[in-house]
Amino acid sequence: MRRFLILLSLCAIITSADANLDDAIKSAIQAMDPYVKQGYIIRDDQWGGDLGLREQKAIPHTLFRGNDYWFCMGSDGENARVAIHLYDSRGKLAENDSWQRSRFAAARILPAATGTYYIIVEVTASPKERTNWAMVYGYK
Amino acid sequence: MMKNPFAVVVATTLLLAAIPSLGEAPPSHIDLSKFPATQLDDIVVPLPSEVFNVLDKLGAPNWQEQLRDPKVKNRGEREQIALLLGSVVAEGFVAVEAADKARVKAIGRDVLELSRAIGVESTVLIRTNSIVTKADSGDWISVRRELDGALTDVKTAMIKLQDAQLAHLVSLGGWLRGTEVLTAIVQKSYSPDGADLLNQPDLLRYFQQRLAGMPPRMRNNPLVTRIQKGLDEISPLLNQKLTPDSVRRINEITGQMVKAIDSHA
Repeated sequence: MRRFLILLSLCAIITSADANLDDAIKSAIQAMDPYVKQGYIIRDDQWGGDLGLREQKAIPHTLFRGNDYWFCMGSDGENARVAIHLYDSRGKLAENDSWQRSRFAAARILPAATGTYYIIVEVTASPKERTNWAMVYGYK
Repeated sequence: MMKNPFAVVVATTLLLAAIPSLGEAPPSHIDLSKFPATQLDDIVVPLPSEVFNVLDKLGAPNWQEQLRDPKVKNRGEREQIALLLGSVVAEGFVAVEAADKARVKAIGRDVLELSRAIGVESTVLIRTNSIVTKADSGDWISVRRELDGALTDVKTAMIKLQDAQLAHLVSLGGWLRGTEVLTAIVQKSYSPDGADLLNQPDLLRYFQQRLAGMPPRMRNNPLVTRIQKGLDEISPLLNQKLTPDSVRRINEITGQMVKAIDSHA
């Protein structure tokens, strides 16, 4: 999993061939924009990598009851479609809201309890074999 | 009716683009064992402000009472300095909650000193200056953001310097001090809502695995060994239903570990 979870720091040292990951990060931050305006604090970290069509990855995360989170995903491909959903540690869908629009997607959760949740990211359509993606999140 | 079909198509397209689509309905249940690449050895470590954000909503504890004033020295083994750096950043959050300007400013300077000792001073210089300035003006929300940012920047710089192991120790130091404070607050007025914040067994397992996976030179460092032992003591307590007694015990153990980190300074 670690090779798929790339901190911004590592993005700085990746080669120019991976420059599209930067575009994916920009897309994810763009998807987060409306929520920042609503007072969500965006974490200054990004997670990302590349995925094949219909390939999913899970990112485990400890979430706290009492916080309100938005997780936003973006990809570098204009014609790509992505999806992001949130599950609890038993694999039950736990999100309170979600949406997908072309290369952007987001999911919101107000955790029912503090614990480990799984952020599932997926590329649902893309003309490319592998599609760069990135995720950011905010909370309030 | 459609005098200008093109305009209608454009308007419809713009409207659809403006409305987020629900997309395909996600399955209501998934088999997490189908994600073998994402075993719990990799978990996102929450920022201190994610915890303190919830604590804000739980009432107004006496934060001043929780503040410590450890003597921070920038000489010592790198493992100890990394643990101390994380712990000091967590202390910064307590000082923010206590609205203690002098303490926050001192912590900003301590963060800089400790960062210098492990070669990442330039990474946090702007952040620490900002912590001091914003504490002066009482802009506590911004101070919190700068403390979060300092923690992230330090860890990022360490990863760049091929020092990911030290970055884990910074996170662990912050988690230990944060857990000590959290248990102290919950202990004062026990409530299931407060205790629920401690439901972090996977995070604890993550830290245990990180320590176990360190090279022998680091793993056998007396302080790291001490911390590893402490985490092993906490583990059964966090993996069962939390009670006032278990919260008190976790507070004692984390308190001892934080003292051990300080005393090696």
